[in-house]
Amino acid sequence: MSAPAANGWVRLRRNRAALAGAAVLAAITGLCFVAPLLFGLDPHTTDPAARHLGPSGAHWFGTDALGRDYLSRCLVGGRTSLLVGLAATVTSVLVGVVWGAVAGYSGGRVDEVMMRFVDFFYGIPYMFLVILIMLLFSETARGEPLPVFLALGLVQWLTMARIVRGQVLTLREREFVQAAIVSGAGPVHIIVRHILPNVVNVVVVYATLTVPAVIILESFLSFLGLGVKLSWGQLVAEGVAVVNPIQSYWWLLFWPSLLLGATLLCLNFLGDGLRDALDPRTRT
Amino acid sequence: MYRTLLGVLASLAVALAVAGLTFTASVEQSADFRFINGTEPRSLDPGLLTGQPEGRVARAIFEGLARLEARTLAPVPGAAASWEISPDGRTYTFHLRPDATWSDGRPVTAHDFAWSWRRLQDPALGAEYAYIVHMIRHARAFNLYGGHAEALAGPIAGALDALRREHSGGLEVSDWQAFVREHGLNELLKGTRNATLQASLLRQQGRIEADELAAVSAALPGEAAHRRALFEEAARRYGIDAGVFARDDWTLVVELEAPTPYFLELCTFYSTLPVPRHVVEVHPDDWFLPDTIVSNGPFVLADWRVGDRIRLERSESYWGRDQVGLASIDVLPVENATTSLNLYLTGAVDWLPGNYPSDLVEPLARRPDFYSGPGMIVYYYRLNTRRPPLDDPRGRLALNLAIDRELIVREVTRLGQVPAAHIVPPGMPGYESPESPVRTDLAEARRLLAEAGYPGGRGMRELGILYNTQEGHKKIAEVIADQLRRNLGLDVRAYNQEWQSYLASGQAGEYDVMRAGWIGDYLDPNTFLDMWISNGGNNQTGWSHARFDRLIQAAADVEGFSTGLADLDAGDGRVRSRLEGLQRAGDAAERRRAGAALRLELLRQAEAILVQELPILPIYFYVVSGLVNPQVEGFYSELSLPDGSRIPNLQDLHPLRAIRMARGEEAR
Amino acid sequence: MSGIEIASLVAGLLGVGATAWLSGRAARIVGALCLAALVFGLTRALLGLAGAGGLAAGLCALAVWRFPGLVLRRVAFAVPSLVLLIYATTLLMYKAPGNPFAGERAATPAVEQALRAHYGVPESATEFFAIYLRRLVMEGSLGPSIKVQGRTVEELLLPALPVSMALGLLALTLACALGIGLGVLAGLRPNSAVDHGSMALALIGISLPNFVIGAVLLIVFALGLGWLPVAGWGGYPHVVLPAVTLALPYAAYIARLARSGTLEVMQEDFIRTARAKGLSEPAVVLRHALKGALLPVVSFLGPAAAGILTGSFVVEVLFGVPGMGQWFVKGAINRDYSVVLGTAIVYFTLVTAFNLFVDLAYAWLDPRVRDAEAR
Repeated sequence: MSAPAANGWVRLRRNRAALAGAAVLAAITGLCFVAPLLFGLDPHTTDPAARHLGPSGAHWFGTDALGRDYLSRCLVGGRTSLLVGLAATVTSVLVGVVWGAVAGYSGGRVDEVMMRFVDFFYGIPYMFLVILIMLLFSETARGEPLPVFLALGLVQWLTMARIVRGQVLTLREREFVQAAIVSGAGPVHIIVRHILPNVVNVVVVYATLTVPAVIILESFLSFLGLGVKLSWGQLVAEGVAVVNPIQSYWWLLFWPSLLLGATLLCLNFLGDGLRDALDPRTRT
Repeated sequence: MYRTLLGVLASLAVALAVAGLTFTASVEQSADFRFINGTEPRSLDPGLLTGQPEGRVARAIFEGLARLEARTLAPVPGAAASWEISPDGRTYTFHLRPDATWSDGRPVTAHDFAWSWRRLQDPALGAEYAYIVHMIRHARAFNLYGGHAEALAGPIAGALDALRREHSGGLEVSDWQAFVREHGLNELLKGTRNATLQASLLRQQGRIEADELAAVSAALPGEAAHRRALFEEAARRYGIDAGVFARDDWTLVVELEAPTPYFLELCTFYSTLPVPRHVVEVHPDDWFLPDTIVSNGPFVLADWRVGDRIRLERSESYWGRDQVGLASIDVLPVENATTSLNLYLTGAVDWLPGNYPSDLVEPLARRPDFYSGPGMIVYYYRLNTRRPPLDDPRGRLALNLAIDRELIVREVTRLGQVPAAHIVPPGMPGYESPESPVRTDLAEARRLLAEAGYPGGRGMRELGILYNTQEGHKKIAEVIADQLRRNLGLDVRAYNQEWQSYLASGQAGEYDVMRAGWIGDYLDPNTFLDMWISNGGNNQTGWSHARFDRLIQAAADVEGFSTGLADLDAGDGRVRSRLEGLQRAGDAAERRRAGAALRLELLRQAEAILVQELPILPIYFYVVSGLVNPQVEGFYSELSLPDGSRIPNLQDLHPLRAIRMARGEEAR
Repeated sequence: MSGIEIASLVAGLLGVGATAWLSGRAARIVGALCLAALVFGLTRALLGLAGAGGLAAGLCALAVWRFPGLVLRRVAFAVPSLVLLIYATTLLMYKAPGNPFAGERAATPAVEQALRAHYGVPESATEFFAIYLRRLVMEGSLGPSIKVQGRTVEELLLPALPVSMALGLLALTLACALGIGLGVLAGLRPNSAVDHGSMALALIGISLPNFVIGAVLLIVFALGLGWLPVAGWGGYPHVVLPAVTLALPYAAYIARLARSGTLEVMQEDFIRTARAKGLSEPAVVLRHALKGALLPVVSFLGPAAAGILTGSFVVEVLFGVPGMGQWFVKGAINRDYSVVLGTAIVYFTLVTAFNLFVDLAYAWLDPRVRDAEAR
């Protein structure tokens, strides 16, 4: 880890909001992935006669319209949402960093052409692209979240590419890079050894902000009926339909919203903390 | 700072001004009666309509020869003031109302109907619902045979030659069936009288030898020529002097191929509504839009803002305008169930047919303004009989016995739906479905699955249950998946696709189990049964059964088929005795009755096969339900017949003509 | 995907990229020509061949002579991009399962053929592309809708566009007013109660999908209190809930941007100078700090506007607003090809235009950018 980054970690540790965010996030993630296995929670077994039960000792989060344990559903749904967020972010980071670094490092015409592609994709309404990709895979996926990763990742890399490219453009003019060029190092070597370590900060910051954006996007898809099998977005979308003055099964909206909201809030805190700590521009 | 503030204010002003421009004056006044119509109508051209939302509007702005009386849903005089039916039930003579006019003042004449009905069958129009009146003489020939002749003489003959070259030593029947399916031969050759062709279509077993292929190939040109001749005659005469034609300005004659007990109901169906020839010929593609439309019904189309609303207003030129209770109607194309319910609860609409969030069914059903009753719709699961374990009748039966339908209707759908063990909904006049108790028998189911080769579900890949995206379907699919999982040990997953993908998966046969529903087109069991013929366009299960096919074909043409009918008896003598009844019949009326009884028996036998073979799992018969403002009058969720009995409104039809609001002039 | 299709796609991408190679003068000329082509397509139906041609030629000349280089460069990029967009979207649509003519009751092949011919939707994607593009340029028409018969796509989109624009603009304005206000307040007093309070509020805005926020607002203000209508479009009360729902997440982002912008600018030397000159604190804030806070906000406006426009459909579904969003979703779900392409074209054009507008505004606010962009 380079010196400024190490500095940043020290500063991050002083940011209580960010630390709390990280802790809560870790707790939620742990619960989602471990608790269902540990306690044998079952999100699928139906018991329609025990439907719409409010929270109780037997079902902490209540039950849904088919009498399934809502706690299990919320936790298992969290897996999908977190995985979608993570996987789409990783996709976007990989594509975005490579694209941005190559464009920024090459400069000149190559840079301009590559950035034109980015501009082009920016003009396509991202939701539209996602819907089309989802349609394309609806037959083969059977509700598996893989196409969602792909679709969401593919629309999220653009901003990453722009940010990285901007950083690389300025880095390229710095002495140590110039020195490496003069000493005859190849471009791949320079990008990997000298440039990428210096854009890690920005990438990390932006990636933390991409995860919540992706999770929200996934919930939009669920709202439109194009989502995946069981996710927070799906649960929230279903919950919205049953909160009504006539009869309110409030827990169906409350729990997934709470988990989703808390996760996104923590990610945002963490992202802010990271930015304050790592982003060179805010350094005093 | 000031610039920023100014900028914000300026954009606020612009936004509000633009928004203001989008509120059109015409819809600012609320209508007398407003209802949620689900999806946006694709069209209001009666010839091209396909669904209930469109039908609701079209039946309000057009009037057929007959219309439905709201309280009984019996056909009563509409554009025709009276009619006579010949004793053999094959000729209908309608006397048109001399005071009926189009909304531009022209009289509605018999020529208008003859032209409209010819247009419906015109192959150039491509009307999906043309088939609904194919019992009219020449209609089917005019509608389809031209295309058939062309296909048989051209591409089909070519493909068959290629097939013969490829399989000079004959081929397996499964390959032959694939060929039949791929080229839609069943549709193309439906109703052929050529014995060779009939036999080849019904082949289920063994090999097709080269000489049989050669015979089919040799029969094709003859069949094509025959159909071309029929088409040419029909094209020359249908709608002009045969089938349907105007004897004079006010007399319309309709000739049927076979007596059709529900023909007058068809005269109220949206496909048979008249269209204004003088406008359609000028604006063929968009004559039904507000600027150009001319109609003859109780309402006129005043405005149509796609995605927002359709505004109907009482027609001042309608002959029965004094009987029309509403001055204006708003038709809202809202698809979202929550939004629909919210609109109803806040009094923004007066009628919400069906589309409310399914989770709220219990509290809603307790409300006094809630109505429900059985519907002529069956909810069922298609089984893909091309894939194991569903290719084995025992596998299908195992699934059938492992589903707890009682639980589903009691705890999931919760509106008193009737669990279904057969496919034709109860309430068809004169028809009794074969006996088939609804039962769940897990031990038997497990035994059958084991016999089919998958004891305890072992060795079976994951089964998918496909449903189209909708809350209600999702719940049922998830419960059934869970039941199959727990009761049979199968690995089952419920998954959804949006409508077009779902249709494509069905048509391509790319599914294991898929949810489906079928709304009867008319009050007759045939509408639920004839789709299951081998390779039928809506069969999609890969299931085919020779005897079933023959029963359906025979039922469609009892007299034409009567020579071979005796073989169709299942051994219980039921077909035979009715056949004898028909042969004994003396006068035309008796013959008609005997023929109808035989026909229903044939259909009953066909349904019995379906229930035994189970290419589909019937789940339950629908209940139609909705919410309607108590101030709405003339809305009958239950029908009262003249004899005092009350029957359900099976088709959920509520003629807007009869509706009025009790609140009168009261301001809203 | 066939070889020809892939080759065409790659060629299209290269064509779009190649617009980066244009020198200043070439970009002016190409841009002016593209502009002329656009204008010709748009006015062809109205003015006829000669009228539209004349107008396009005149505009072309005027553009070469007077238009800013930035504008022409963007147009030179946007027009080939549109063509590529149409082609790529067509391919995607044709690859998706299903077709617009499939119904629950299987149509006979003859019926389907008749419909395909009538709507200009052949079975090959490339043929469709050719028909579509030809109609677009020669007739200036986006083609007939398949699922809303009797209407062209422009007849569907034209009434919907102002609805979405009004809603979007309103939401954007609300978001700016709310976001900048909160953000600047927070940035002036970092770590105060005001700061934490407004940032917490902002975070709630980002942390929940807006259909949840919208549903809650709906339950409180429409169903509970009965102050506002639940859905529809027909008067100013209808506008309130969708606009607020749409604005909230963006207000949150803007507040955060404005806060950090303010923080940064308050540490700059010129602020210290201004204070040293004896300017009162409000004057310092209004004259100098706000401008600093606005710069990051302005650069966010481009993406935000695009997001609000394209993101509004969830809100439109929730509140039954007859805007563009419904076509966006319905078009894709119904496989109404020309509607899908029409919405894609409109959005692409709007987003590109808005980005251009923002860049111009940015240049106006910050002269350094002006020189760099003009090239």
